[in-house]
Amino acid sequence: MVTAVRNWFSERLPISGVQIAELTNEPVPNHLKRWWFCLGGTPAYLFVVQIVTGILLAFYYQPAPSTAYESIRTITHDVSYGWYIRSIHKWAATLMIAAVILHQMRIYFTGAYRKPRELNWMVGMCLLLCTLTIGFTGYSLVFEQLSYWGATVAANICDTVPFAGVFFKRLLLAGDSYNSQTLPRFFILHAAVLPAVMIGLLVVHVGILRLQGITEFRFENEPDDKPQTFNFFPDHFYTELTIGLILMILLSVLATVLPVDLGPKADPLTTPEVIKPEWWFYVSFRWLKLFSGTFAVVSSGFIVFVMFVWPFIDGWIRKHTRYTEASVWIGIVGVFLLVGLTVWEAIVEH
Amino acid sequence: MKLETKQFIIGFLGLVFLASLVLVQAMEVARKREEVGLTSAHVAVPAKSQNCVECHGKSTPGIIDHWKGSTHARKGVGCVECHLADKADADAFTHYGTVIATIVTPKDCGRCHEKETKEFDNSHHAKAGNILASLDNFLAETVEGSRVPFNPHSPTPGRPDITEVNGMASSFVGCQQCHGSKIALLGKDGSSIAVDDLKPGPNGQPTNLAILDQIMKSDDGRPRFHAGTWPNTGIGRLNLDGSKGSCSACHSRHDFSPRRARQPENCGKCHLGPDHPQKEIYEESKHGVAFRDLKEHMNLDAEDWVLGEDYSQAPTCATCHMSGHSKNGGVVTHDPGKRISWSNRPPVSKVLDTDVDGKIVTELDPVLRREMTAFSAEEKRTNMKQVCHHCHTQDYVNSFYKQYDDFIVLFNEKFAKPGESIMKALRKNELITKTQFDEEIEWTWFYLWHHEGRRARHGAAMMAPDYAHWHGMFEVAERFYQEMIPQAREITEYAAEEGKEEQAAAVNKLIDEILARPEHAWRNPPSTELKPE
Amino acid sequence: MNTEVSESETEVAEPIRRSFLFAVSAAVMAFGLTAGYGMFAWLIGVFLYPFRESAESWQFLSDLGSFGVGHSLTYQSPAGQKIVVTRLADAGTVDDFIALSSVCPHLGCQVHWESNNARFFCPCHNGAFDKVGKPLSGPPKDSDQTLPQYALQIKNDLLFIEVPTTSLT
Repeated sequence: MVTAVRNWFSERLPISGVQIAELTNEPVPNHLKRWWFCLGGTPAYLFVVQIVTGILLAFYYQPAPSTAYESIRTITHDVSYGWYIRSIHKWAATLMIAAVILHQMRIYFTGAYRKPRELNWMVGMCLLLCTLTIGFTGYSLVFEQLSYWGATVAANICDTVPFAGVFFKRLLLAGDSYNSQTLPRFFILHAAVLPAVMIGLLVVHVGILRLQGITEFRFENEPDDKPQTFNFFPDHFYTELTIGLILMILLSVLATVLPVDLGPKADPLTTPEVIKPEWWFYVSFRWLKLFSGTFAVVSSGFIVFVMFVWPFIDGWIRKHTRYTEASVWIGIVGVFLLVGLTVWEAIVEH
Repeated sequence: MKLETKQFIIGFLGLVFLASLVLVQAMEVARKREEVGLTSAHVAVPAKSQNCVECHGKSTPGIIDHWKGSTHARKGVGCVECHLADKADADAFTHYGTVIATIVTPKDCGRCHEKETKEFDNSHHAKAGNILASLDNFLAETVEGSRVPFNPHSPTPGRPDITEVNGMASSFVGCQQCHGSKIALLGKDGSSIAVDDLKPGPNGQPTNLAILDQIMKSDDGRPRFHAGTWPNTGIGRLNLDGSKGSCSACHSRHDFSPRRARQPENCGKCHLGPDHPQKEIYEESKHGVAFRDLKEHMNLDAEDWVLGEDYSQAPTCATCHMSGHSKNGGVVTHDPGKRISWSNRPPVSKVLDTDVDGKIVTELDPVLRREMTAFSAEEKRTNMKQVCHHCHTQDYVNSFYKQYDDFIVLFNEKFAKPGESIMKALRKNELITKTQFDEEIEWTWFYLWHHEGRRARHGAAMMAPDYAHWHGMFEVAERFYQEMIPQAREITEYAAEEGKEEQAAAVNKLIDEILARPEHAWRNPPSTELKPE
Repeated sequence: MNTEVSESETEVAEPIRRSFLFAVSAAVMAFGLTAGYGMFAWLIGVFLYPFRESAESWQFLSDLGSFGVGHSLTYQSPAGQKIVVTRLADAGTVDDFIALSSVCPHLGCQVHWESNNARFFCPCHNGAFDKVGKPLSGPPKDSDQTLPQYALQIKNDLLFIEVPTTSLT
């Protein structure tokens, strides 16, 4: 009987267990037994959570200025477990961005971006930018005061970009200012374009990883005769399952203890006293406030560009100067700057 | 780590995840239960009123929002059901194809709320408009204002349009907003056309058809109201259709919330202030204190709100005077007079034995009195005691009533009746004029019974000791001894000088007799006893 | 690469055959995962299920006093359905009244009352119904379709009808 069923399937799906094992069973380096090397899998898992909860929320969300806020109010107050699904979506977004940043730091400080992995670093940078943008558009969809004014401020920042700024702003807002066409744009970006792009990038990201193999590390206290790899399946797979469950528990607890509320509805006529973006934009927000318009924007763009091509700059430095560990020190400065500016923006009122 | 250990950990974490979701579910259940009372029930706009709601939702959103929260909205009673009028009604007009009237009267409400309307119509509340002929009204219309318009004293910079002073303003804004106005339409000649001119028949439609042509109408055919008489939701309003009163006096438009009518603030629009501070008295009393504290446990949204079944934490005005309770089968009355045994409104409190017409029986002979009485004060008191007995024992309630009766009798016998007889004597002997409020003593007497005396009596009725005493009897005594008696003496003295010795002597004799009575004798101690050393 | 894969395969396969403990732990894991994610899936199901009851409510129709025997009134529900309510008797109970939809059960055309024939008539296919909604002729008669009825109730001498309502929000 069992054989008959198995035969029925294998006739139609000509793939054997051995082949699946072959496909998935990449030997995993031992260092991945340490949890902080699994930070890459965390955002991927959260990304799946976001897709699931995002699709659920889209069943009720109505992307138009007249209905957006009301539909979110309905989700939060009327729909069964709506507050929970919405809180999960919000908290998973927060955790995802945090995980992406931590993952990138880990890659950076362990030098995992170096030759031959420069391209994957750049794919990762694209994923970072996509993550930040999807966070921004998602927040704008709520259409409460701060999300509306956050988007307006972002559009004004766009304006100060030389040459292309106005063009991009018009493209983003579907006009010179926030109007009835803006919200659908944000929605399509948030719920279709960016997720699709990110899935594509993730496939490339993981594909390159698989082709190149994970960077291997040896720790000094490890005996040399210890096996250097372990199995992806089931050993590492179990680790990922564990991480997934811990994340789900964490999300559930966060959603119940700190459920997402709903601020006042967007009012284009009343500017709030304090406009602040979500925390992950605090850095750039503080940066923009420190320097005058165009310089701040251009310098931010320059920093992003440098981050993008960092593997090559780093390679050049290591090749042509004697400061082979320069990246670590630059990294430390960068992290201090990142944390410092974020904290600064978090504690000041304006 | 061994694979088995990992699997156990995963299994365990899966169960923790389940537990966290069970917590989520518990929160959801709690939230749903909490929201049952908070979220407004499903409201549908009746087809007939859909146009009204659409347009007025924009032009007067407050009215529509209020209505949406009402029981009416939940049960499919829209705008048209209440505002619907007949073409033959005096104030009817066609509004976007529907004949409606602005003012909804008890007659309209009574189409569905028949029992309530009947009870209200029999109540003293419905007769509040009769004040138009009373002493208080003379105050507002004549003393405070003027029955005929008069010229401004001097020009008002910036308002050249003020060329005439409406002397009725105090009456319109003060008295009539509580007591009710006599609703009037504006005549083409500037006159006002009220219920007496229209002579409505039993169906409320005017029988004096000739006068209908005289009504001034705006361009869209809408009859214009006399601005002094409308807006007005006074409880004894005299309506154009011959009905009395206004249901929205207590059941405010446009949500007609029973919850609000059950709360003391609702009565407090009128029952407060120097002359009858029932609201303040209630607030001082233990009843009011308990209500303030326990308001959220009072089940104010209950459908029937029966004392002893739906709540028993504290009484509000409505609880004692109107609401249903467990000892009367939960029957609400819209006639608060059904549970009141003393009328503390007049100078001398009266026992509320009422005849078939609801008038107070003044007959002294007990047999005749029993024959004339249709609804005795004793029955009314029994009705009230049933409410009291939800929280108080019989002895307690009976002794309270003993304290209360004694207090009223004390006021009546020591100050009210003597005061009234002095005023009568002064007027009979023509030592004061027939005109009210032109002599100081008339103001004094008015303060004594109308303000201080009522404060004292209401304070005693509703257990507010400070109102009974300091705001009440203390001031009554001061007014009587320090002002009324000296002023009466002064009048007689002056009259004697003017040559009216006989009349002055008659009044003096009365005052002497009063003051010689034992309850006043403390003022004239035997000179030997209390003479300072 | 190939040798590694086969090696790992045997590593995976071996404990399954070998250890009772492994079977227990695998069962625990399967149960935990099914319970946790299963509950999550159930929540999702509840989330997607309509959170409102179908919108129907008792709507005020008329007071009894002004609704005499033999009279009928046309009522439009908040959702737009046209309904004919007729008083057939004077017993003072809800059975005096009948509320009939004016939508023909045959193909959904509007029927209308013909007072001279004392019948509801559907112009689409000449269907006809009597005053209590029973089919008299035409396609409804052939398939014995009556006019749909609406529930009525009397409360405090007021007549209410249960109809679908559209929400304001």
